[in-house]
Amino acid sequence: MDGFQSDADARATFDTLLSESNGHRAALTQAVLDHAAAGFIGLDADLNVVLCNRSAADMLGLTPPQLWQPVPLPQCLRESTRLNSVGQLAFEAALYPASKFYPDSGLSIVDRTLQLILLDGPSLHVIIHQVDANHCFVSLSVKATGDVPLERIDGLTGLSDRQWFRERLTTELTAPAQEDQVAVLLIDLDRFKAVNDSHGHPIGDALLQMVAQRLRSVVRDGDLVSRLGGDEFAVMMLGVSAPEAMGKRLVDLLSRPYLIEGHVPVIGASIGIAMGPRDGADTASLVRAADLALYQAKEDGRQSVRVFKQEMDTRARARHALLHDLRRALALQQFEVHYQPQTNLGSRQLVGFEALVRWRHPELGLIPPDRFIPLAEETGLIVGIGEWVLRKACLDAMSWPGQLSVAVNVSAKQLEDPNRLPRVVEAALTTSGLPATRLEIEITESALVRYEQQALQVLHALRAKGVRVSMDDFGTGYSSLSQLRSFPFDKLKIDRSFVRDLSNSDEAVAVIRAIAALGASLGMTTTAEGVETDEQEAMVRNDGCTDMQGYLVSRPVPAEDVSKLIRSLTSDLPTLQESI
Amino acid sequence: MTTDLFRLVYCSRNTIFADQCDPVAEIAKILAASRLNNARDGVTGALLYSDGCFAQVLEGGLDIVQRTFERIQRDTRHGDVIVLEARRTEARMFGMWDMALTEPADPIKAKAILGLALAEPNGDAGTTVVALLDGLVRREGDWANAA
Repeated sequence: MDGFQSDADARATFDTLLSESNGHRAALTQAVLDHAAAGFIGLDADLNVVLCNRSAADMLGLTPPQLWQPVPLPQCLRESTRLNSVGQLAFEAALYPASKFYPDSGLSIVDRTLQLILLDGPSLHVIIHQVDANHCFVSLSVKATGDVPLERIDGLTGLSDRQWFRERLTTELTAPAQEDQVAVLLIDLDRFKAVNDSHGHPIGDALLQMVAQRLRSVVRDGDLVSRLGGDEFAVMMLGVSAPEAMGKRLVDLLSRPYLIEGHVPVIGASIGIAMGPRDGADTASLVRAADLALYQAKEDGRQSVRVFKQEMDTRARARHALLHDLRRALALQQFEVHYQPQTNLGSRQLVGFEALVRWRHPELGLIPPDRFIPLAEETGLIVGIGEWVLRKACLDAMSWPGQLSVAVNVSAKQLEDPNRLPRVVEAALTTSGLPATRLEIEITESALVRYEQQALQVLHALRAKGVRVSMDDFGTGYSSLSQLRSFPFDKLKIDRSFVRDLSNSDEAVAVIRAIAALGASLGMTTTAEGVETDEQEAMVRNDGCTDMQGYLVSRPVPAEDVSKLIRSLTSDLPTLQESI
Repeated sequence: MTTDLFRLVYCSRNTIFADQCDPVAEIAKILAASRLNNARDGVTGALLYSDGCFAQVLEGGLDIVQRTFERIQRDTRHGDVIVLEARRTEARMFGMWDMALTEPADPIKAKAILGLALAEPNGDAGTTVVALLDGLVRREGDWANAA
């Protein structure tokens, strides 16, 4: 039964209760109160609970306090399983003016109301009535937040979920006479994973709860905050003209340090904004627009806010089109392998070539590797492309004189299945007839880090066949010495960025010297990449590198020009003629 | 509720009131609210405002320092919040004060210390800021005793 139709009824009952110091009457009143759907708590001026019905205890997630044994409400609140610490604090703070501690605080307590969000989703509506100088009385009721059904509420943060966000957005977009703009702000936390990894999941979960509370603390009534999943949140705002200002405010707020269990995790946030119906008239296209803006925000560096612009869509479509063409490029034989010579710094002899893939697009012409390789890596297309390059390079190298080697790059993706690459290499060598010792596999540090165990297994299998293995772009990634110990590389390729900085950075000189010395002591060749000037050549030779590669000797050339290049390089260097 | 004593030191920049209202009145408001909360919660500390920057020390139980700090973090009247120190401690340094408001004795030095702390929050910034506030609070205590 619902004992009271209104707070006024309840208050009258409580007044009666107080006026009658009759225990029998009090017990009866308690029994009546316990059947009420609304929650009631009576407090004295020390904020001790002198009365609490069952509903109030349920709503706060408390074990009902022993009747007539005064317990301070703040102490009860700390044990609440449904209010988080912020809610507890807000509740307490609202009550203080009613206590005897601050009689002159001047804060009004007349029917003070308070809305708190319970941890499991719904909101708690609190009304505090001052009964007399020494008593106050609190009535509680639970409401679903913004009419969000319980099954659409995220258990961790109490926010509504992705599905509810989409439903509400659809409602707003299809509402008749919708004149207002609907702003969608997609929020992605930066470095959240790192917090989870370094501090553990309980801290990560607490952080997500605090993020949710911070988001809720700034949005206006009527705005919708949802957790889309993981560390992704969304805000829907109606009738705003400048959502970017709100976006910036959210980024600032979410990026401020948090204090959780004594830890101070620092995260950031990136936000993408789209306005409906301007940027998308239906839910899917509006969310897609906001997503593109978010992608741009992340591209532009952390802590940024980007509003959707048409060119983001254009760029995304271009990328999509490129991907479409990339998927067919292998079958349509649009790839080429170009070769860049590698020479010995001491003898100036040509020692071999690095195979570099090029994509000749029928309409767009030669597409630079940095435009399609990341796309190919992302989609896994790199596996097929890499294997084609390997077979082509082995065949091409067979036509070169002497013992000239060919170096082929291997992507991290090609290591996912540790049995695959050794098999493909074996087949390429058998088909071409190239001796294994003339093939060199280049692998980047990051690929090694990503697939450490499989990678080592693959490298050992290749080495067992007699194939040489070099570490590419050394110095740019993790450069861990333990990696050098974990596998006996034949060669370290020093990243071009160090060579580029040689003339104006003492650090670059020091790094190159250190790598060269390391290589020498471990019996590895060291190749300086990106050598473009005589000065750089002199410096890397002087710093102890054994080989070099770069535009100074030659840019990468198409396969059919390699023989000509070999002839021109060897006519300069008579010693090479003798060696081949 | 943990009984461990915790100290948090942070610096931040004032974001609005320079152009919109009187900083002294605004700080008085902040202080009144914070003293009210702190007396109740057993939080002690000190607040310094100098040339657009705040430095604040909060001391108390971990839970309550956490809640107090989270409330402060949501205050849009400041920004660029940097935590200089967050650790358990044996004893309160500002045990006498619900929240002491300190005036910089040497505004130029205070400005330099806060400026440096905001620019380079690592290293000794926390210790330096605590020492600055401690010195200022002591000085004010001496004055109060002399009066």
